[in-house]
Amino acid sequence: MELSKDELLKAYWIMKAIREFEERVHVEFATGDIPGFVHLYAGEEAIAAGVCTHLRGKDKIASTHRGHGHCIAKGCDIEGMMAEIYGKKNGLCAGKGGSMHIADLEKGMMGANGIVGGGPPLICGAGLAAKQLKNGGVAVAFVGDGGSNQGTTFESLNLASVWNLPCVFVVENNGYAEATASKYSVACDDVSDRASGFNMPGVTIDGHDFFAVEEAAREAVRRAREGGGPTLIECKVNRYYGHFEGDAQTYRGPNEVEKIRESRDCIDNFVKRVTAAGVIEPAELEKTDREVAALIDRSVEKAKEASKPDAADLLTDVYVSY
Amino acid sequence: MITRLLSALGAVGIARVLMMPDVDGIAHRVRRAVDLRPPPGQAWPEVVFLDMSIECVPDDTVHAVEGMVAAGAGAIVVLGGDGTNRLVASVCGDTPILPLSTGTNNVFPRVREATIAGLAAGLVAAGRVPSAETLFRNKVLQVEVNGESRGPALVDAAIASDRWIGSRAVWRPESLRQLFVTFAEADAIGLSSIAGLLRPVSRQATHGLRVDLEPPETAAATLLAPIAPGLIAPVGVSRVEEVFPGKAQTVQISQGVIALDGEREIEFVPSDRVVIRLDNDGPLTIDIDWVMARAAREGLLTGQSSPNFGEK
Repeated sequence: MELSKDELLKAYWIMKAIREFEERVHVEFATGDIPGFVHLYAGEEAIAAGVCTHLRGKDKIASTHRGHGHCIAKGCDIEGMMAEIYGKKNGLCAGKGGSMHIADLEKGMMGANGIVGGGPPLICGAGLAAKQLKNGGVAVAFVGDGGSNQGTTFESLNLASVWNLPCVFVVENNGYAEATASKYSVACDDVSDRASGFNMPGVTIDGHDFFAVEEAAREAVRRAREGGGPTLIECKVNRYYGHFEGDAQTYRGPNEVEKIRESRDCIDNFVKRVTAAGVIEPAELEKTDREVAALIDRSVEKAKEASKPDAADLLTDVYVSY
Repeated sequence: MITRLLSALGAVGIARVLMMPDVDGIAHRVRRAVDLRPPPGQAWPEVVFLDMSIECVPDDTVHAVEGMVAAGAGAIVVLGGDGTNRLVASVCGDTPILPLSTGTNNVFPRVREATIAGLAAGLVAAGRVPSAETLFRNKVLQVEVNGESRGPALVDAAIASDRWIGSRAVWRPESLRQLFVTFAEADAIGLSSIAGLLRPVSRQATHGLRVDLEPPETAAATLLAPIAPGLIAPVGVSRVEEVFPGKAQTVQISQGVIALDGEREIEFVPSDRVVIRLDNDGPLTIDIDWVMARAAREGLLTGQSSPNFGEK
């Protein structure tokens, strides 16, 4: 079943919100007001949007260090996210997690994760819970090309297959694990080649193409919900910014990012196709653009004005009372 | 596979081979094999890698073939499936190609052993066998949208009611509305199997086929077809007719996608004018059987004609 106009508009909102959020964080981080590190998702929006378009509230996702896009796509509050990135008390994690640990369990977002390959084991647990509870839930792990080489990912693929868990492993292969090219560090041609070794379907798709991602995700999520077990989806994509903000990206080719932005941008591609097909009018997309811009502005203003955690907050949200 | 090709090409006197660079390690392994020296008794050609950048997009294949044709290659061995061969066919002109099956959809290329393929390709490239007897001109489907060429398709062009190209593979037969084929073998796998199981058409036949399709529930007839590896699906058929070269075929639906050789490639809307034509002017392929039969008759690999050792 193809996506309806409303679903496509929502997907556009998500992609645009991610893009505007990341571009703004890129600017604000340079002022020095944001503590810690940020790892921007700009360029990869189609993956988060395409996958999460098929997920419901009861479904769970586990993310990576590059988690802002997954958060937004799963429905996390954008103002709460920005406050968290600024380390403010009203952030999604009370200002204690920052960019790399944004989570909202109510929304099924099990957290951005600073441990490379940390997500896949978590979704095996979430998938097992859904299976035991028979609630039709699905668990999705986003993992990078670097994370795909981690033992935790291999173990999770095996366990999900052996236990027939309702899991989807989405490998966001953006070509670089920090500064190491995946063409060097991944031994096989496509990460999806590994799927057959774990007795599950694997597919490689263009991560810049929202429609390719959502179609592959639709099949994988349907299969998981119907008890068909896990799937591995590799999305080949490019990130626009460095591994972290401040990364000089000396490992990338001349004009590499510019060429990709000009010719393969996922949002431009989406706009071109939905307007050419007559599904959505340009004016409707422009309305979304204005709404998103205002939301991001508002979230930054509020985050800057919000309070930081107090000293007393050090003793809350911990397992041991002192 | 490539080292077998090189052994065979060297054995029939090919001195130079142009290869496409890649980032998947194939070129690296070939360089290593060349550096380690061929096995004793074998003389490999010089292997030269094209000076081109690799973007990991279909255009890499197009640029590589353009480079090979410009350099005067006598033959091109293609390791890939229908999609790769379609890209090659779009720019190889009259340079003969030898497709070896290694891809996803493999109806056009054959499954042949690389050593023999190398001998055949080498004999053709060296001009040691006559073209007229060893090369085969293939049919193609030319696909035009608003007057602009978007083809060719070497095996099939399918019209589906999906709105988007999506993940490109075709696996939902209920969305198929029309199928055009250049040839249709009953033992093929893929969309052309639909035509092959209804009315087989050989590669040598001058015509192709058009099959009109609809959901099985409403179709005049249904067929179980192996439309993809591991997928045998019911397909509804309403009409089958032969199509002849040059006659423009129009599509029945106003909006949908066109899949070329099993992959959705083109989205079209009501304002687009889509025309499909069967054409007899497709790529030249090297027929391995014909080449090796000629080689045996002429003693090309023995240094003398074979009558002394042939059948009485």
